[in-house]
Amino acid sequence: MITLLHKYGKTIAIVATQSLNDALWGLIGDFALRLFHVAILLSLWRTVMAGQGVVAGMSLEAVLTYTMVAAIFADQLAGRTRIDDDLWSGNIANRFLRPMGIYGQMLAEMVGGWIPGLLFFALPLLLIAPLLGVDPFPATWTAGLWFLLSLALGVAVGTALDLFFAACMVFLEHSVYALQRIRTTLTVLLSGRLVPLALLPWGLGDYLEWLPFASLASAPLRLYTGTGDPQDLIPLQVIWAVVLWVSAHALWCHNRERLVSHGG
Amino acid sequence: MAANRNPVVQVIRRWRVQAYLDFMWMTRDFKFFLINVVSDIVLSLSGVMAVFLLAERFAGIGAWSRDQILFMLGYAALVQGLLEMFFRYNVLAISRRIGRGQLDHALVQPQPLWMALLTEGFIPFSGCWGAIVGLGISVWSWGRLDMAVEPGWWLCYGVHLLSSCVVVLAFSYLWSALAFWSPVGAEEISSRAIGFAWQLKSFPLDGLHPLLVNGLLSVLPVGFVAWYPCRVLLGTDQGAGSLWTTPIFACALSFVALIAIKKGMNHYGHTGSQRYLRWGHRS
Repeated sequence: MITLLHKYGKTIAIVATQSLNDALWGLIGDFALRLFHVAILLSLWRTVMAGQGVVAGMSLEAVLTYTMVAAIFADQLAGRTRIDDDLWSGNIANRFLRPMGIYGQMLAEMVGGWIPGLLFFALPLLLIAPLLGVDPFPATWTAGLWFLLSLALGVAVGTALDLFFAACMVFLEHSVYALQRIRTTLTVLLSGRLVPLALLPWGLGDYLEWLPFASLASAPLRLYTGTGDPQDLIPLQVIWAVVLWVSAHALWCHNRERLVSHGG
Repeated sequence: MAANRNPVVQVIRRWRVQAYLDFMWMTRDFKFFLINVVSDIVLSLSGVMAVFLLAERFAGIGAWSRDQILFMLGYAALVQGLLEMFFRYNVLAISRRIGRGQLDHALVQPQPLWMALLTEGFIPFSGCWGAIVGLGISVWSWGRLDMAVEPGWWLCYGVHLLSSCVVVLAFSYLWSALAFWSPVGAEEISSRAIGFAWQLKSFPLDGLHPLLVNGLLSVLPVGFVAWYPCRVLLGTDQGAGSLWTTPIFACALSFVALIAIKKGMNHYGHTGSQRYLRWGHRS
C-alpha cells in the first residue's frame, strides 16, 4: 500500500515540477490569460447586472463570487486528465508499459498538474480578490464544506467524462483533435463555468442543470455561493459519477483493443 | 515554359495546389469529413455563444444593443475563421515550428520564407467552416441592424477585417520569436497568444478600468480583434482618427514582429535546432 502511494506521490511530484521546468512560458501565458479573463468577466457582470437587483436568485455579489471561484478552481472544475493528449501524441502506448494502472496514472498526473496553478495563480487570486471588489468566501461555512464535497464529486464526473470521450476517440480513430475541441468547448458552455446556468435565456438553465456537465462546475459553484440546495445537487452528482464511471470503464475496456499508436 | 516570376501569381498558384491537396485530404473519408465540419462549427459557435446568450438575457450589454453585440460576435468569428482557413498547419502557431526546428522544412524550399508561410497553411475546404459561421452571424446581424450602409462602409469593413487578422497574426509572431531562444519553453507560446485572442475576442471591453483597456489595445491587443473595430464600424466611436487606429496599429505591430522574427532568425542561423535525437524523436 505504501509502495503504491509512493508511486502516485512521485508521479504527482514529477508532473508538478516538470511543468515548471519545461513549459514555463506557457504557464505564465496561461496565468496571464486567466487573469485577464476573470477581470473582463467581472467587469461584464458589473455592466449587465448594474441596477438589476436579484436575477434568477442571484445577486451581483453572488455572481461575482461565482466567477472568481470558478477562476480560482478552474483546473479542478474542468476535471481534465491528459488522456486525450496521450492518445494524440501516441504516448498512451508507454503508459501500458508502466507498473501502474492507466486510471491511476492519469489521476495522479492530473493532480500534479494542478499544483503550479494552485500555488502561483489560485492562491494569489484568492488573496487579491477583495482588491477586485469580490468577496471570495463561501456564503456560509456549511456551504464551504458542501462545496468541497461537491468539488470532489465534480472531479469524479469530469474524469469519467474524460475517459468516456477518450474511449470515443479510440473508436473514431483519427479524430482525436476534433473530439478534444468539441469536448472542451461544450463543457465550458454547458457546465456553467463561464455563465451561471440560471442566468441563461429562455429557461435553458432549467434543462441544462440535469445534464452531467452541470455536475462539473455549476453544482459546486452554486453551493459555494449559497444559491443551490445540497439535497438536490449532491445526489445528482453522485448518480452521474457512478453512471458515467461504470459506462466509461465499460466503453474503454471495449475499445482499448482498437487502440493503435503511431505517434512519437 | 518560363516560370512566371510575379509573386502574386505564384501565391495564387500555391494556394490552388494547397486547395487541391486539402480537398483530397478532406474527402478521403466521409466520417472524418463530418467530424471535422461539426467540430469546427461547434467551436466557432461556442466561442461567441456565451456573450450572445448574455446579450439575449439582458437585452444587450451596457451601451451595446443585442444586435450590435451580434454584429461584433459575427466580426470576431469571421476574424478567427479567416485566420484558421489561411494559416493552419502551425503557420499561425508558428512557435511550434520554430521551437521544434521545423522551420528548416520551409527554409530548404526553393521559395522565400514569407511565401511558404503565406501559402502552406491554406485549407479552404477543411478550414472554411469557422469563416462560414462568422459570415452567417454577420449576415444575420446586418439584417437586424438599422444602418445606412454605403460602398465606403464596406471598404472600411474590409480594411478593418484585414487589419484585425494582421493584428492577431503579428501578435502571435511577436511572441513566437521567443522560441528562437527558448525552443522547449516557448514552443507553445503562440498557441497561448492565439488562445488569449480567441478567448477574449468576443467580450465588449467598455466597462473595464481604463488602464486595462489601454493594455488590451497595446501590449496585449485583443481589443483590436473585434471590439474596437466594431465600435468604429457601428459609429459608436467617432473620435478623431479612430477610423485609422486599427489599420495603423496593425502595421506598427507587424513591423515590430518582423524585427523580432528577423533577430530570432539571425540567432537561429548560429545555433540551429537541437531538438531532434538521433533516432528521430523530439527531445
